[in-house]
Amino acid sequence: MIRVNDLTVAFGGVKAIDGLSAELDAPVCGLIGPNGAGKTTLVNVLSGLVQPRAGSVTVDGADLLGLKPIERVRFGLRRSFQTEQVVEDLSVWDNVRALLDHVPHARGEAVAQVARALSHTGLLDVATVLGQRLNLFQRRMLEIAKSLVGAPKLLLLDEPGAGLTEQEAGALRRVIGSVHAFCGAQVLLIDHDVDLIAATCTQTLVLDFGRRLALGPTRAVLDDPAVRKAYLGTE
Amino acid sequence: MSASILNDAPVQGIAAVPASLAEASRRAHISLAVMVGCVLLIGIAVPWLANAYWIKTLTSSLALSIAAAGVALLYGQLGLVSLCQYALLGAGGWIALRAGHGLGWPFELSVLAGGLLSCAVGMLAGLPALRLKGLYLALVTMMMAGGFQVVINVMGFPDGGAGWLGRVFGSERLMMPRPALALSDAAYFRYVAVWLAAMLALIELHRRTRAGRSWALIRRGEAAAVAAGVNILRYQTWAFGLAGFCAGVAGALLAGGVGQLDGRAFTAGDSVMLFALTVVGGVYHWAGALIAGLLLRAVPALLTDFGVNGYLAMIFFGVALLHALITAPSGIAGQLAGAFDAVRKRFARGGKEAGP
Amino acid sequence: MEDYLPFVISGLGLGAVYALSGVGLVVLYRSSGVLNFAFGAIGALGAYVAWSLLEADWPQGLAWCAAIVASMLLSLAYGRLLAPRLSHRDPTIRSIATLGFALVVVGFTEWYWGEQPRRLVLPTDAGAIDFVLGEVEVRLTHTRALGLALAVLMMGGVGLLLSKTRVGLKMRALANDRDLSALLGIRVLGVDTVAWVLSGAFAGVCGLLLANIVRLQATLLTFLVIPAFAAAIIGRLHSLPATVAGGIAIGVLEALAITVPGFAAFRTATPFLIALAMIVFFRTGTRQA
Repeated sequence: MIRVNDLTVAFGGVKAIDGLSAELDAPVCGLIGPNGAGKTTLVNVLSGLVQPRAGSVTVDGADLLGLKPIERVRFGLRRSFQTEQVVEDLSVWDNVRALLDHVPHARGEAVAQVARALSHTGLLDVATVLGQRLNLFQRRMLEIAKSLVGAPKLLLLDEPGAGLTEQEAGALRRVIGSVHAFCGAQVLLIDHDVDLIAATCTQTLVLDFGRRLALGPTRAVLDDPAVRKAYLGTE
Repeated sequence: MSASILNDAPVQGIAAVPASLAEASRRAHISLAVMVGCVLLIGIAVPWLANAYWIKTLTSSLALSIAAAGVALLYGQLGLVSLCQYALLGAGGWIALRAGHGLGWPFELSVLAGGLLSCAVGMLAGLPALRLKGLYLALVTMMMAGGFQVVINVMGFPDGGAGWLGRVFGSERLMMPRPALALSDAAYFRYVAVWLAAMLALIELHRRTRAGRSWALIRRGEAAAVAAGVNILRYQTWAFGLAGFCAGVAGALLAGGVGQLDGRAFTAGDSVMLFALTVVGGVYHWAGALIAGLLLRAVPALLTDFGVNGYLAMIFFGVALLHALITAPSGIAGQLAGAFDAVRKRFARGGKEAGP
Repeated sequence: MEDYLPFVISGLGLGAVYALSGVGLVVLYRSSGVLNFAFGAIGALGAYVAWSLLEADWPQGLAWCAAIVASMLLSLAYGRLLAPRLSHRDPTIRSIATLGFALVVVGFTEWYWGEQPRRLVLPTDAGAIDFVLGEVEVRLTHTRALGLALAVLMMGGVGLLLSKTRVGLKMRALANDRDLSALLGIRVLGVDTVAWVLSGAFAGVCGLLLANIVRLQATLLTFLVIPAFAAAIIGRLHSLPATVAGGIAIGVLEALAITVPGFAAFRTATPFLIALAMIVFFRTGTRQA
């Protein structure tokens, strides 16, 4: 559960996020809004790359803003990026294994955890392939696999489905939808693909100009006329 | 990629570790053994084939290869340009000479002391520098090398005297005492080869475990590293320390090989040359460090044998560096490894075609 | 106080050269993003050209010009032939590559002219200006006076160039954002050429002055450029006035260091100590290069 309270983020004179308050408790939450609405800024605040000017953020009751970015990873925060950050000269296995290096885990369990994560994302067959030889779909799956090890509490997925085909997007949907059952972590999903959001997220937060435009069950939010006007562009 | 993930629901429950992983692990162990084996083979074979002069020259080459391995680690694994590694080599040599002459320590201890001092100096001096990236690091390390050049020029190296500096003058100058089982030049060559194999293995083991994975993440980018929980400063410092250790050990072994070190021979230019030729040799493969050592000592000696002016070699090295940076980033070792792989694949394919 | 004056004066001479070299380095870095490690080597070759011409009884003015032209040509050659092939790489590699060029130039110089150290004796060494400061008699050879004047002229000229002329504006734009400048229609290669040639001219002058003040030897002259990097660092690879101040300060402090008991033998380490201190203690604001 993510609790954001009166969060304000400013870059110079521009308020990227303005007094945002929200409680996100669904296993998979969506975060949508027009470009420049503050979605990536919010994720950057959560992962620690950006310091807010005011406000607080707690995850499962713990104060997040008091932790340094590396400490947040140890706490259980995982983040994927719009441009995937696969390490080219490590194998798929090592890419995932690298995450366990800095996160507490039971001794001797590393292999099992990595294997489970790769199996869940369908990458077990290519475990020894180097990152540079993966195609886009495999890279996107690898980003998610990396997030599944080391007892994660919250996954921040930033446009994980960009560039995928219909079939691949479907597989992605299934994986995202099953994350909570797999490891108990909550997922916050940013994407422009409304179908993906509608299919996976039970709760959705809509931002516009750094402010909360709507928050609630996904279907209700997507049907909200204010949201349609600002974001989807239909009347 | 399993087709099932695209069509079916994801598999739950315990996943079997793929056989390919065990295979990859086996191949990794073999390549490590091959590396150690090659170096030890060189250690055994060369003293039989080379004359006295060349044994001494190649001993220096091997020692410098250790330092080059450290440079390659910093640049190849982390993209860090350190232009002071030869100074750290000098520092290691100084400590080893001081310990050997003044304290009468056993040789191995002197080498370790040299290595550890350079490791510590590398880390301490590197800490503020490591907060800076790229070009500033290169500049700062060059400044440090320049400073060391001035200091060692004045201080000189210990050679049997008393007092802090341990200097003695004229014909009283002593050679560094060698280890008991490596007194002759041939035996000492083999001794250095063992050290080289050990150091290369140390670096390789780092690369294959947590340190190597963290370095790879740092290489990918700060965002990727932070997102994976890597403490960038800690791992960069660790690499700097390991590279310093390599330089210090190399300096001590060099001192043992040539007996005395000259305070005028540790210039900032030597550190630049060490970096340049390590890049030319190849920073991604252990053989690159060996090639670098040869380029630094053996090639100039060869040119002298043929009566070629050493400065022509400098021109050639400059061109080689430019070439390596512009067209062949993996250096000579990388290109050789690529050619080797191509030949191996050709044979494997030939074998398959010949089969049933 | 007056005891120190001779040291300060002599330090000013070397400091002016450090400042000039620093400016040459920073101007090029600001325009092209490349820190030219071959700056000293290029200047050294120019100095050797002058030496050869003077030995052949050419007039001093022509020898100076030839030296500066030689350095400009070398700098231009690198800037137009080699630097573009690295333009897509990261800034560190683009600068490290100049180390390769430095090796080539130094190697050629030492091979062609031989490595024995020489003195670059200029006819202007013969005459001098004598004046009295306070109670101290100061003597400035014509060469030193010329050098100081030239330094002031060139640094002032570059400052004017950057702030008042079209080319200078383009150079500043390039330093700001190369790709954007290209999109805006600024002919990047053309401006680059100006920067490399200008930097080469500075290198040539510095090479001549250093060869005269210290001695003519390629590896030494290349090493002597490291204090110029220290000056550039003080200027944060950006500010020309700070670089000038830094260079002069380094020169003066290095000369004064002779008077410090026990430190005299180490005084040539002064530039490095200052640079290191700058970087370590004034880290905030150090641009990420």
